Amino acid sequence: MASCWWRWRRGCSWRPAARSPGPGSPDRVGPCGPRPAATACAQISYFNLVKSLTSAFPNMYSISRLHHTTLAVDCCSKTQSGEKYTDPFKLGRRDLKGLYEDIRKELLISATELKEMSQYYFDGKGKAFRPIIVVLMARACNTHYNNSRDVQASQRAIALIAEMIHTASLVHDDVIDDASSRRGKHTVNKIWGEKKAVLAGDLILSAASIALARIGNTTVISILTQVIEDLVRGEFLQLGSKENENERFAHYLEKTFKKTASLIANSCKAVSVLGCPDPVVHEIAYQYGKNVGIAFQLIDDVLDFTSCSDQMGKPTSADLKLGLATGPVLFACRQFPEMNAMIMRRFSLPGDVDKARQYVLQSDGVQQTTYLAQRYCHEAIREISKLRPSPERDALIQLSETVLTRDK
Amino acid sequence: MSLRQPLLRLARYLGASGPPRRLWWSPFLGRIFPVGSWRGQSSRSPAHWNQVVSEAEKIVGYPTSFMSLRCLLSDELSNIAMQVRKLVGTQHPLLTTARGLVQDSRNNLQLRGLVVLLISKAAGPSSVNASCQNYDMVSGIYSCQRSLAEITELIHTALLVHRGIVNLNELQSSDGPLKDMHFGNKIAILSGDFLLANACNGLALLQNTKVVELLASALMDLVQGVYYENSTSAKEDYITSDIGISTWKEQTFLSHGALLAKSCQAAMELAKHDAEVQDMAFQYGKHMAMSHKINSDLQPFIKEKTSDSTTFNLNSAPVVLHQEFLGRDVWIKQIREAQEKGRLDYGKLRETIKAGKGVTSAIDLCRYHGNKALEALESFPPSEARSALENIVFAVTRFS
Repeated sequence: MASCWWRWRRGCSWRPAARSPGPGSPDRVGPCGPRPAATACAQISYFNLVKSLTSAFPNMYSISRLHHTTLAVDCCSKTQSGEKYTDPFKLGRRDLKGLYEDIRKELLISATELKEMSQYYFDGKGKAFRPIIVVLMARACNTHYNNSRDVQASQRAIALIAEMIHTASLVHDDVIDDASSRRGKHTVNKIWGEKKAVLAGDLILSAASIALARIGNTTVISILTQVIEDLVRGEFLQLGSKENENERFAHYLEKTFKKTASLIANSCKAVSVLGCPDPVVHEIAYQYGKNVGIAFQLIDDVLDFTSCSDQMGKPTSADLKLGLATGPVLFACRQFPEMNAMIMRRFSLPGDVDKARQYVLQSDGVQQTTYLAQRYCHEAIREISKLRPSPERDALIQLSETVLTRDK
Repeated sequence: MSLRQPLLRLARYLGASGPPRRLWWSPFLGRIFPVGSWRGQSSRSPAHWNQVVSEAEKIVGYPTSFMSLRCLLSDELSNIAMQVRKLVGTQHPLLTTARGLVQDSRNNLQLRGLVVLLISKAAGPSSVNASCQNYDMVSGIYSCQRSLAEITELIHTALLVHRGIVNLNELQSSDGPLKDMHFGNKIAILSGDFLLANACNGLALLQNTKVVELLASALMDLVQGVYYENSTSAKEDYITSDIGISTWKEQTFLSHGALLAKSCQAAMELAKHDAEVQDMAFQYGKHMAMSHKINSDLQPFIKEKTSDSTTFNLNSAPVVLHQEFLGRDVWIKQIREAQEKGRLDYGKLRETIKAGKGVTSAIDLCRYHGNKALEALESFPPSEARSALENIVFAVTRFS
């Protein structure tokens, strides 16, 4: 269902005019094409309607998706860029040729086994989701600033570093969660043991830090250092749980931001800093990354319930087994308060995991979480649309759509 | 700000009581952290070593703060303290690491930080850099150099904590329940990562990309050093991998020398000293660390009172040198002879090694590195800070 109403996109321009036109919220940065006032008005009224309906966030239960559909049709009526539909992944991959080879070069050390362990996940079989967003964002910002679409070497380096930091945290997370498979293969800890796996993670982090320092920009170093801190703090947040329902939701979203979105947001910001001196653009890049990142994780949490193990490359209901209550569970808990006790004991009693899974599937937890993810994507599109049009900007819009429709 | 207060609170959580005790020489610890020797006394006369260190601490104004107060008072660290409590009663190495941090904090804990501060002071402000903010100096040390000293300690401690991860499929029943050991791993990873994240944060604040690169590469070296240390350590049959002294030197530089060497160099970079001064600081850090490591490796062989049960690392300098003189085959034969019912009689093996040339040549090697460290210091102008750095070398190269 998400896919049908998101299909509208394809090179058309999404107007952020609907945003309350208060001070300090420029609806578009830089010069933009002419736009028919009437359409804009229609959009404003529509958006406000949706907004008023959804303002009770996150208490939105049954909001019709009709509004979005109408909105989409409305928007599709004018196509601004003549660019043909492009697969965002394809567009991004041009700049990422040799990405994994280059990462492996950063990890060339004399200890053969340690090298093998730290290069293990850089086998070119990953989605490279983060690097693709980063290079697309780099080109979008460069085009916006001086119409030069080329990706600078330093911006490409950020794509490498983002993937490295991500992988380093995966290696440690897998030890923490005692996970045995990832991306359809055994985890580092299962093959080489916990002791060595932790060192492999540390090694990747150190290599990423060296690459980061070599870019030679102190602002960029600070931006990406924030990610490392957020990743650790997010992991700490995951240790604790809140009793109060509202606090629990805020806690969940904060954890989601720190563990997933911060990396995307800050690496987008880093390439924008390298490509363009305007702080407004940096904020757009950051907000886009943050919203896409949260949406990405929300869908990930949904897939943990709806997907089968083969697709994910890792076992499903994994979060429940780890005692984690993600979005679908928190929504389901509103319909089935008896889940509260299970959440508090972190699904530790025999049968808890299965029962919770059943409750979630009976409830509208999955739909609600998907809907929440849609809202974050919406926000991401609204932000990125403030940049001047370019195939990469449109690919980023396209990409936020695929975040919602992915099944693995 | 002192680390002691919050850490003492941690100590209470861990069930420690009474005055701080010296734990680092216990055989058990020696086995788990064969490299924790920085914390131990380094010369035969502890009084002498302590005197050298405490005089050096006076020179730098106030001791290294080790970890910033912000980091210590954070929710995360108190969270860790609470969680570590659950491990009491298990054999998870994290417990011992945590206790060691607390109970040996009276001295030596911050030796790396101390050396960074001393060499900063010995080098003084750079003459080329007139624009440098001198008001930022306390006791002749820039505040950024003090931060660097802290970062050095943070990185070292993070790896110390990560060293203590256990392989879950190799657990003995005496270690404690699998669930608890897994939990211990979890907390160890998180606390190590937390310390590393703080180090990264501190580095970013220094606003110097060269310093970030130096310290990041020091971290990479350290990780490799720890990896080698784990992979060459003795297996069930007490046969260690066949490494010669040159490999030993390379690996020991990674695990013990690189962090100090590169931190000393970075301290010079922060004060805008030229490449030559930076290299001398690097050389001092490197050779001092090597000589310190060899000194602590020698302790089980030169102390007058060693009980037969005292174990020693089969990859320590005297043993590796001993093996090099004899050849691999004779060495393996000697290990076999010292084994009884599958257990190694360390007392017997020690006497065999002491009869050979390994110990004396390790002493020579220790002095060689000590002299190299002193040579590097000659390029610094005479000062009390430089004397303190010299005294540290004298203390670790004194064997009679």
